[in-house]
Amino acid sequence: MQAVATTLLRRPVAAAMLVGAALLSVTMPAATGAAPACAATTGPHAALVVDTGVGTRSFCVALDATTVSGIHLIELAGAQDQLTYGFGSGGQAVCRLAGVGPQGDDCFADYPDYWGYWHGDGHGGWTWSSSGAASARVGNGALDAWVWGSGDSGATHPKPPSLGIDDVCRTAATTSPSAAPSPSGVAATASSSTVRASTPPGPTRAPDWGHPATPRSDPSGGRSVAAVPSERSTPAAAALAAQGPPPGSAGPGPGVLLALALGAALAGGGWLRLRSSRRERSDA
Amino acid sequence: MMDRPSIHPVAWIVWATSAGFVAFVTTDPVYLILLWGVSWFVYASHRVDLEHARSFRLFLTGAVIAVALRTALVFFGTVSVANTSFSFLEGLRLGTILVIFGTFNAITDPFGLVRMAPRHFHEPALAAALALSIAPRTVAGVGRVREAQRMRGIRVRGARALPALAVPVLERGMEEAHTLAESMDARGHGAGRRSRYRPQAWTGAALLIAVGGVGAAAIFLAASVGGWAVLHPQTSPIVWPQTAPLLLGATALLAVPGLVGLAEP
Repeated sequence: MQAVATTLLRRPVAAAMLVGAALLSVTMPAATGAAPACAATTGPHAALVVDTGVGTRSFCVALDATTVSGIHLIELAGAQDQLTYGFGSGGQAVCRLAGVGPQGDDCFADYPDYWGYWHGDGHGGWTWSSSGAASARVGNGALDAWVWGSGDSGATHPKPPSLGIDDVCRTAATTSPSAAPSPSGVAATASSSTVRASTPPGPTRAPDWGHPATPRSDPSGGRSVAAVPSERSTPAAAALAAQGPPPGSAGPGPGVLLALALGAALAGGGWLRLRSSRRERSDA
Repeated sequence: MMDRPSIHPVAWIVWATSAGFVAFVTTDPVYLILLWGVSWFVYASHRVDLEHARSFRLFLTGAVIAVALRTALVFFGTVSVANTSFSFLEGLRLGTILVIFGTFNAITDPFGLVRMAPRHFHEPALAAALALSIAPRTVAGVGRVREAQRMRGIRVRGARALPALAVPVLERGMEEAHTLAESMDARGHGAGRRSRYRPQAWTGAALLIAVGGVGAAAIFLAASVGGWAVLHPQTSPIVWPQTAPLLLGATALLAVPGLVGLAEP
């Protein structure tokens, strides 16, 4: 009797703990997200802004080389901050980011909506990328943005919210006034006291990437944008952030097994046909 | 020898075009490998004779080589799982189209098709039929020459045997073309007259084959235009293909020829 009571008692507690854990895992990336990864590392960083149309997320991505491709920047954001992504055309094109976009290899499957590619000037201005993400080079202090929407050029495609590099990768108070423009045209504050061997030519940054976020409102788009170093804002984006890999990656579905059975039946049927026709021929 | 199945050639054209179209619009390995199975089943059920079987084997080998070559192209650039699988799937699509063409070649008589062409298209149709039949005729020619050489005790292996093989094959091709031209001339081809000797009838089986093919192509076309199913699975990062049951059914529709209109034993 007592055992039953404890089980009855234990069950709601366990259920509550489960729900709590689930909630925690859902809210955690939205709340803390990129901050620890950025705070822990120094060296070259670039900003990646992903605007799904319903919400914007931005990532301060630690680069593993002096310059990386726009594609590799997304892969790094996926590894560091759980950004989900899918590439098409053999990994040359961006199909899917944060759960938005076509699932397959054809990135224009949802045309006229597609992921537009923008480069930031570092102070909130954006230019439409003239090259693909596989050939674009992203260096220290650069900004890349992806915006889901329609429009075949930068004139008609929706623009990312006005963000500078310091809104995404927040620097510490500068100790030296020697600011120099980086090769990519991004004016960034340099801190001569923290020069590292791994930092590329150009400006070097203070290591404090993980400053607390201060919300501010975006003047151009009217979207609520939190000036980062982490995730931002709308619940939809937070939900997208929490969602795992696409369902196709879980394993072969029932469809594949059905196809296997069908294929085996066809191969076996064909073999039987050939054998019976051969026997008829030898009988005749 | 089996009797030649009396399926209307147009039904085979419809089947091959539909199957080729399906292979063309997808790079999903599930549908493509299933199409290899479908082709094999249809070939096994309807192959005409052994010479055509050799031509099927030729196309099968060609398809495997095409897949391997297309995949090997990756090694000229950066090699990754993503672009290797992408190249392999592109190659698999090409190979599938080759296998379907090989099946079509092995189960139809190209010259039967010429009779079906409208009068004004007779000459282009004849050219097409000659082009279609060149592979099986060459394979058959090689087989015959080799047999003759073997009977005379000539060693047929090795690269040095190649001229001894090629010359009679080419000579035979010329002779066949002459014979064909003369016989056509004698039957009034090119003079604007056509013989209507023994017109082929549309049987129920032929109709089923054509309807199955058109249905399969229509479903894949709808998926391609409507975008309700993934026809080009993502390769970067690589994921399991999400197979749609409706598209599996459509692929199975292409196997209908293996079930109907079989030659009576």
